[in-house]
Amino acid sequence: MENMNLNKHISGQFNAELDDIRNRVLAMGGLVERQLEQALDALGNLDAELAQKVIDGDHSVNGMEVSIDEECTRIIAKRQPAASDLRLIIAISKTIADLERIGDACVKIAAAALDKRLKNQQPLLVSIEHMGRHATRTLHSTLDALARMDAEVAVELHKEDSKLDSEYEGIIRQLMTYMMEDPRSIPEVLDVLWAARAVERVGDRCQNICEYIIYYVKGKDVRHTSYEEMKQI
Amino acid sequence: MISIDQSVMKTETLDLNNLSSEQTALEIRNLDLKYGDKQALFDVSMKIPKKKVTAFIGPSGCGKSTLLRCINRMNDLVDNCNIDGEILLHGQNIYDKKVDVASLRRNVGMVFQRPNPFPKSIYENVVYGLRLQGINNRRQLDEAAERSLRGAAIWDEVKDRLHDNAFGLSGGQQQRLVIARAIAIEPEVLLLDEPTSALDPISTLTIEELITELKSKYTVVIVTHNMQQAARVSDQTAFMYMGELVEYADTNTIFTTPKKKKTEDYITGRYG
Repeated sequence: MENMNLNKHISGQFNAELDDIRNRVLAMGGLVERQLEQALDALGNLDAELAQKVIDGDHSVNGMEVSIDEECTRIIAKRQPAASDLRLIIAISKTIADLERIGDACVKIAAAALDKRLKNQQPLLVSIEHMGRHATRTLHSTLDALARMDAEVAVELHKEDSKLDSEYEGIIRQLMTYMMEDPRSIPEVLDVLWAARAVERVGDRCQNICEYIIYYVKGKDVRHTSYEEMKQI
Repeated sequence: MISIDQSVMKTETLDLNNLSSEQTALEIRNLDLKYGDKQALFDVSMKIPKKKVTAFIGPSGCGKSTLLRCINRMNDLVDNCNIDGEILLHGQNIYDKKVDVASLRRNVGMVFQRPNPFPKSIYENVVYGLRLQGINNRRQLDEAAERSLRGAAIWDEVKDRLHDNAFGLSGGQQQRLVIARAIAIEPEVLLLDEPTSALDPISTLTIEELITELKSKYTVVIVTHNMQQAARVSDQTAFMYMGELVEYADTNTIFTTPKKKKTEDYITGRYG
């Protein structure tokens, strides 16, 4: 959001408000990113203490969503933003909803780490670790694109999600084999499956955020359009 | 399953560059205007669609009022005013020598910033234009007065005191009375020059509501300093800057995704 020309309003107060809300979204993004890293760490090492910390930390994420949303409402009521200002507020309001859901995904991943039965199933966790690293990278790049409001990067990131999706499919196939080989492992495998599903959802949420970035920069709603159409905008 | 009526959600937008002659109320072609040496309008061309509300916005001195006043030749009254270009009403240039200005103004009514009722009764104010046309039939005048006052959404407030002096009305009522006077002679086009800038917020809303109703019968062109007002009442918006028409598009586009940076800067309140 550096090149956004936010600071040129005649009303200095309006500048300050937009600046503040922008900083808070980026701070929220940072917090969610940390939550995701820690949740994946906790799952990889089956670290119950860290997992509990992530679960408790979700409160702060939720709180930030509510307070940023309030600020958006206040700005709309008081400033009647138009054009790019309006698109910024709308994009922020939607972005924080997706960030909050990524926060929820972190809680799900952390919850799996609390399952003591997984201690005997370490091999199950290896594949999820790789996918988790991929998701963390995607989230990091998305937040980076958000900070710079870079629509070109957002378009490319949007496409990247299909890789995460195919990784997820691979994991499902693998987990199915486990279940067929040893039906007694089904409860643990399901736990891992939910966690994998949560990681996959992080990618989808990042995709949404990329769409909001494109909406802000280009003024076009690119939801439900193809990569080719998106590139042409 | 719930079915959603798409027509409610999609607002129709006109292609302003390709309006057919039936859709066009006014066409401005390459209009230049000079007050003495100072050029106030530079090559303005646009088509104003029929039975829609068109708003002109822009900073003070950008030429929006000048352009509005050209449409019923109010600038004829200004010394040293030179106009080049054409404004077509029914395909005829209103600046043509053959055109009778009085009959042009019967077709193109105008309402100003400050309400300017005549120092007469409410009734006489409304029927003034008809009396000028030589109509004195009592029944005809009564009918026209009621129709116009209803049309201007002020009938219920004044019907019991039609013969009181118009100066006894509030500012908002006076403005609606002036609008009633303008529509009494049934013009095709109604020009509004900042019609609410001297009014309180509630009267402003009444007038805005009225503007939306007026477009079922008239083509409305409004100049306003209040951008939110333009956003609320108009179907298309023209942004002017330093005598030039910068951007002219449907209002939804102008206020969400303007194409030109100048428009964007102006409507978001940034330095130009």
